[in-house]
Amino acid sequence: MEIEVIAEDGFGGDAYANLFREIMSDIGKAFQMENALLVLRPEVPLFVFSIRLKTEPSSKTVADVANIRTEGNITHLTITDERYAPDILEEMWSRFGKDRVEQQTRFDMEVKDVPEKEVSSIVVASGEEYLKEVVGAIWRSMPEGIKNRHTYIDGQVITVVATEEKFEPQMLEEGLKYHKKMLGGGKDV
Amino acid sequence: MFEVLMYDGGVYRSEELFELIEDVGGVIIQKTRSSQMLTVTMSIPEEDKEVISEFCREIGGEIRSVPLAGTEIAVVGPTLGRHHMPHPICDIAEHLRRRGAITVVMGLARGRGKLTSQISLEEKMIIDEYDAAIFSLGNFKSCIEAKTDLFSDIRIPTVLVSGPTPEGIDDKCDAIVSGVGRKASRMRSTPEREKLDEIGDKVEKVLNDKKRLLDEDPLFIHPAEIKQLLEEYEPVSMCLRPAPVVLHLDGLRVKIGYDEHREAIENMEIYGRRIGDICRLSPSKINDSSIIMRIKTRSEVRQEDERKAGG
Repeated sequence: MEIEVIAEDGFGGDAYANLFREIMSDIGKAFQMENALLVLRPEVPLFVFSIRLKTEPSSKTVADVANIRTEGNITHLTITDERYAPDILEEMWSRFGKDRVEQQTRFDMEVKDVPEKEVSSIVVASGEEYLKEVVGAIWRSMPEGIKNRHTYIDGQVITVVATEEKFEPQMLEEGLKYHKKMLGGGKDV
Repeated sequence: MFEVLMYDGGVYRSEELFELIEDVGGVIIQKTRSSQMLTVTMSIPEEDKEVISEFCREIGGEIRSVPLAGTEIAVVGPTLGRHHMPHPICDIAEHLRRRGAITVVMGLARGRGKLTSQISLEEKMIIDEYDAAIFSLGNFKSCIEAKTDLFSDIRIPTVLVSGPTPEGIDDKCDAIVSGVGRKASRMRSTPEREKLDEIGDKVEKVLNDKKRLLDEDPLFIHPAEIKQLLEEYEPVSMCLRPAPVVLHLDGLRVKIGYDEHREAIENMEIYGRRIGDICRLSPSKINDSSIIMRIKTRSEVRQEDERKAGG
């Protein structure tokens, strides 16, 4: 993940670039980010944290993250994306009960008496939930006292503009300017 | 000359160690047991250090010098916000404990932010109960310089720990250590350990200055002597709180209720005098389940004696 920092305070700029990288790695979001822009203006105070994700957040169904085949009344699943394994198992157990779901290995499971179509259409991760987690991670990396926040979300780009007391219109304008920059420039949002 | 040492090891043959400390005329300042592990802070005559060290090695423990023993230090952060964890203040507190101090970690109720940070009078009074306070602030120079109100009115020695080096606030605290701001991981690397050593050295220096100041008009009695007396008092000896009696440079913190035990403690006698005549007792500002004892100086006691004799 590339991080661009715009800050007059040299120490603070370097420290926050490291903090941002460490926090995103700790909570498992760094590998999903392409690049980040941190604008740090503690003298105002105004902070703009903008990130571009590698892919646009969307809902994932079982069919997106596992190979599915049916033999008789048994539907076999081979999980292809390990990240979703706990969510798939949780959904299967809650919908069909533990007596109809058998996990054979880390990535293989069987479901009895459930049509393949029903299994494959189950949503295991919603895009909204994912967005919430990413925005939460950005909030977590911001200075603690900066509580007044505004978030812009467009496709792969998420920008959080934050200040301490009230927002001045130019603060939001500035945040939007960096948001557009991350979007690629010129696109109306 | 007495020297303060810390034993760190197992409980195996610890009774023999306690007897040996008593035999050489030393005192145990602090004894903390955690499962099978034991930490003992002791004050012993300098000439007997070798005997004690040898015995500690024999029973499989380690012994080291602890310059901050007999002090209680508050490590204060603007908040203890979960999203900051791990805090550098935890590493600082642990490092000071290794040097023998008793430490507490405090977060202010409204200490966060640049324009809105504040400290209440109650918080100031709680911090003033300790021997020294360390304020750990963040990574932005302008924020640190704007937040001096947090520690400028604190009466005890204060050390400011921050990321960048602030300017123009040298008179607001007793020492400044820069290079430690907000962190998202433990302070494990060599430069970070060196920074912790620097903080420990600065704290030691400001406490030595305070000790020198106290020596100009010495306390009527050393706090360790009152501690020994208090440990024979049943509510203290039966107290299950960790370190029921904590030494301060100019007194003690006793972790039993003020209302129930004030009178009994004031009426105890040491060297033919009531404790109430040589100490000031007050409830702790944290809550009244602890007593703060401030020992009067020799000149204060003498003045009071003269006043009584005159009256």
